[in-house]
Amino acid sequence: MSFAISLPNPWQRGRFRVSYLARHARRHPLVLIGGGLLLILIALTLAAPLYAGDPLKMDPFVRLQPPSAEYWLGTDNLGRDVFARTVYGARVSLTVGLISALVAASAGLLIGVLAGYIRSFDNVIMRVMDALMSIPTFLLAIALISLTETGIGILIIAIAIPQIPSVTRMVRSVVISVRERAYVEAAVCGGARLPKILWRHILPSTLPPLMVQTAVVCADAIMTEAGLSFLGVGVPPEISSWGNMISSSRLYLSIAPLTIFAPGILLAITVLAVNLFGDGLRDLFDPRAKRRS
Amino acid sequence: MVYYILRRLISAIVVMAMVGIFIFLLIRLTPGDPAAIIAGPTASEQMVASVREQLGLNEPLPVQFGQWAQNTLRGDFGTSVFAGRPVVQLMKQRMEPTLSVALLTLFVSVVGGVTFGILAAWRAGGFVDRALTVFSALGYSLPVFVVGYFLIYVFAIHTRLLPVQGYVPIGQGLGPWFAHLILPTVALSLPYIAFIARIARASMLEVLSEDYMRTAAAKGASPYSMLYRHALKNAGAPIVTVIGLSFAYLIGGVVLTETVFNIPGIGRLVVDAINNRDYPVIQSVLIVISGIYVLINLAVDLAYTLIDPRIRY
Amino acid sequence: MKISRRNVMKASMTIGAAASFPSLLRAQASTGGEPVKWSHGVPQAFDPYTTTDVDIGDYAFGVYDMLFGLDSKLVPQPQMIGDWSASADKRTYTFQLRDGLSWHDHTKVTAADCVASIRRWFQTPGGSLVQQRAQDVSMKDDKTFVITLKEPLGLLIDQLAQVSTYPLFIMREKDADRPPSEAVITHIGSGPFKFNEELFVPGANITFDKFEEYVPRSEAPDGLAGGKIARVSRVIWNDFPDQQTAVSALQAGEIDFLGAPPADLYPVIESDPSLVLEDLFKSGYNYFLRMNCLQKPFNNVKARQAMLHLINQEAFLRVINPSPQYSRPVKSLFGTGTAYTNDANTDWYKEGGDPEAAKQLLAEAGYAGEKVVILDPTDWGEAHNASLLLASEMRKIGINAELASTDWAGLVTRRAKKVSVDEGGWSIFISSATDFQFGDPTTAAWMAMNGEESWFGWPESAEYEALRAKWPDVETLEERQVLAREMQQVWWNYASLISLGQVVSPVAHRKDLTGLVGLKTGNVPMWNMQKG
Repeated sequence: MSFAISLPNPWQRGRFRVSYLARHARRHPLVLIGGGLLLILIALTLAAPLYAGDPLKMDPFVRLQPPSAEYWLGTDNLGRDVFARTVYGARVSLTVGLISALVAASAGLLIGVLAGYIRSFDNVIMRVMDALMSIPTFLLAIALISLTETGIGILIIAIAIPQIPSVTRMVRSVVISVRERAYVEAAVCGGARLPKILWRHILPSTLPPLMVQTAVVCADAIMTEAGLSFLGVGVPPEISSWGNMISSSRLYLSIAPLTIFAPGILLAITVLAVNLFGDGLRDLFDPRAKRRS
Repeated sequence: MVYYILRRLISAIVVMAMVGIFIFLLIRLTPGDPAAIIAGPTASEQMVASVREQLGLNEPLPVQFGQWAQNTLRGDFGTSVFAGRPVVQLMKQRMEPTLSVALLTLFVSVVGGVTFGILAAWRAGGFVDRALTVFSALGYSLPVFVVGYFLIYVFAIHTRLLPVQGYVPIGQGLGPWFAHLILPTVALSLPYIAFIARIARASMLEVLSEDYMRTAAAKGASPYSMLYRHALKNAGAPIVTVIGLSFAYLIGGVVLTETVFNIPGIGRLVVDAINNRDYPVIQSVLIVISGIYVLINLAVDLAYTLIDPRIRY
Repeated sequence: MKISRRNVMKASMTIGAAASFPSLLRAQASTGGEPVKWSHGVPQAFDPYTTTDVDIGDYAFGVYDMLFGLDSKLVPQPQMIGDWSASADKRTYTFQLRDGLSWHDHTKVTAADCVASIRRWFQTPGGSLVQQRAQDVSMKDDKTFVITLKEPLGLLIDQLAQVSTYPLFIMREKDADRPPSEAVITHIGSGPFKFNEELFVPGANITFDKFEEYVPRSEAPDGLAGGKIARVSRVIWNDFPDQQTAVSALQAGEIDFLGAPPADLYPVIESDPSLVLEDLFKSGYNYFLRMNCLQKPFNNVKARQAMLHLINQEAFLRVINPSPQYSRPVKSLFGTGTAYTNDANTDWYKEGGDPEAAKQLLAEAGYAGEKVVILDPTDWGEAHNASLLLASEMRKIGINAELASTDWAGLVTRRAKKVSVDEGGWSIFISSATDFQFGDPTTAAWMAMNGEESWFGWPESAEYEALRAKWPDVETLEERQVLAREMQQVWWNYASLISLGQVVSPVAHRKDLTGLVGLKTGNVPMWNMQKG
């Protein structure tokens, strides 16, 4: 999985950057499918207040109803609109997933670049990353949450931290392979200072694989948040997150399966979209990918 | 060769030490008083003070760590705050169900994934290959608890073919043990089959297009011989890595699976411990599981050298 | 095969693992017969003097024995006691143990054990009434002990037999010889069932074996009185975190008994010919909300009365237990089925609630948008759903309600704090008690109104307390009923506790499990039941 420079330095391409990518993208349908699906999902969740109804409104007298004209996917055990809750649940899951992924990516980028370029830093950091990677991500997230007060901020950090090592490793390996390149040497000889070298010469090469890894991390973050909420240690129960919904509807599997499968299927579709997008990006950036894949 | 093994061993020990430090610090760095948290929500002031004394929390940090490390290495994982019993005892009771699920899943995933991947690569672009693409996309995206409930709904509630929940120890009969494990294993193994199959396929594809494969074919080697002797051994290394990596993700999935299928394993022990703020249990399980993961990685790295003599670090 | 080494490794690990761990049911009970399996919560701590966790009741009734037992008519009958007498001035009571009582560790039960247990019981809310009136408890000989009172107490025997809260379970002297704050961690009792230490998996399952040396009384079993005969050799409790799987397990015959099936699944159970849905207790659980009377906004009586008018019991019953034949509203402080249920001062009750009246009263109380914190127990489904509904209903009339979601343990910690919500306190929490418990205002802690000494919420009313103090000394039932009316009159004016409705909770079991005993406390002791 080596991502050696497959794109010329984007900084130098200027305004041709976007069209260059666009031309390549057309030949790789996965990016379009995944990206498109993702955009649709995001648009739908942002537009939720316009069409979805109120996810918090409880009407105990219509609990566990099958789908009807008023309640498109029926109601749950407290008489809440399953459709509304599912759509609003997307907001929570997507937000937490995206922000966690961005946090992890930023941290991983920073640490990875420093580790790749500065050898003394490297040894210590990579041992720490190895140690972190030895603790299964899910358990680590649960442990981190259990030790602090619940809150979305803590949740995001607890999901992000276990993802940092994999990003760091990937960035670091790119940096290591790049720093020996001639143009970097030239820059150093030319008297460029460290921050400039990192920014202009090293950083751009990390971006493509970083984008792919961020997509992977994002998918994992969304799944992790759902799992944590399912176990009851994620998002607080009042807020409808898909994991919460599945957990509180466990009881009704045999009499109202939609309350479990509506959020479940939407969760699967979202993760699928992110995964496809990530796969597509990987194909896009890797010159050696066979056309058949 | 020996030098290599030694270096890996030392590296593994260093990593474990860091894991130990990290887990140790985890509770002591959190806001709030660890003694109060361990003593529990209903403890009085003096009980908290006595817990603090008991756990040596008044000592300087390095001394505490030394004591804790010593105890852990000796196998003394402390006492569960809520069950009042040694953590080791709790873990022993719960090991069998978790190991059963995990190992069975690993077995199914490896056999299924490798076979699927090889077949897909062998006839690249063919039906199996396209099926794999679809399957792997789905496998990654379907959360285990959704798949689990779906399987229960179809196979246990509506058709009564398989048991709904629970775990039967292997000592009570291989049949019931297996019957109770079918659904959890299927639910859990989907993403791993997908993962392993993709890596296997990619790896095989690379190898199959190498020149020595054409040479072997030209020499009239049988398909079996080509697959096994020439291709697989070269493709083996990434596959073995992936198996090791899978384990870490497997543990997270086991926790959720045990909750859905009501299997009294380590996963549920940890979840209950977290809900109860039972830190001795949380710490010990994390250490043990991380330890197993490090060991597996070590085994995988060493297995590399057996599979591919060219690899030496 | 390339992975042959791995396969061999894995196979041998599995077999090795299986062989080295004890299997739960491999050791069949010596007296033969199939074990009876229950879906039942597995408590974390077991000492009935330390906590009143509802899961502990069934354990305690099986493993421990009591001096007196209430029969099905709630009349106390001697159980461990053989003979007893009271002095002429009713101040000295002498008790003699009957023959054949022994502990699970094969030693004999002595009067010393009883004295130690009573002394420990005095320190719990269950024994506090007797403790206030008692002068001394002492041992006369190995089988006899004496209780001397400062003044006569007509209800002494009833108190010794009471099971509403912290019942007097007799423990060994060495176990009972410690304050209730120090939990007993052994499980040695003198009851008909023995706790199996070897097969105990904390948090997952408990095994009880028939105690062969238990000598039951000769009378027929009747509630907690009469002969407690264990008719099965072994009972296993399995903890199911998921009620759906519990019901499915019941249908598949994997378990025989489910104590509290979820109401939504009643139709599933009723339509299954191999299962029975049985109302064992004939008494329900009354859900109620409790307000913090020390802090704003509920330190103002009008705000509390507003809540009284706001609550739509039918709506709450729907989310707690939607089955109409098993739920009903509660209008009386004394429940719906006790001897003291009455209708004094119940005009506030309106079907569907009265949000307009509530808004009006809230305005009169001068509510200015203060934050109201509802403690929400996420691990107790019914109360959790009720809390969510409560928040929603309160917001509809403009109250700034907020949920503090924790598990029950967290709730218990927080509700003990008397401070304002900004300092980590609380405004409302939901709980439940059996209808039965509402029949005894001397032992039901939430029925007291003595300010900071009383149960969480700390209501204060000298008028009410004066009436309540008369209760133990009133002689006849009719006089007590009059007293009950007077108490209720004051109670609903003050409104520190508001009813959310009553649900009757039937149990579900397989048809071949018969003879189940249901106590009014909502407990199911394990004696008398038979399989097949």
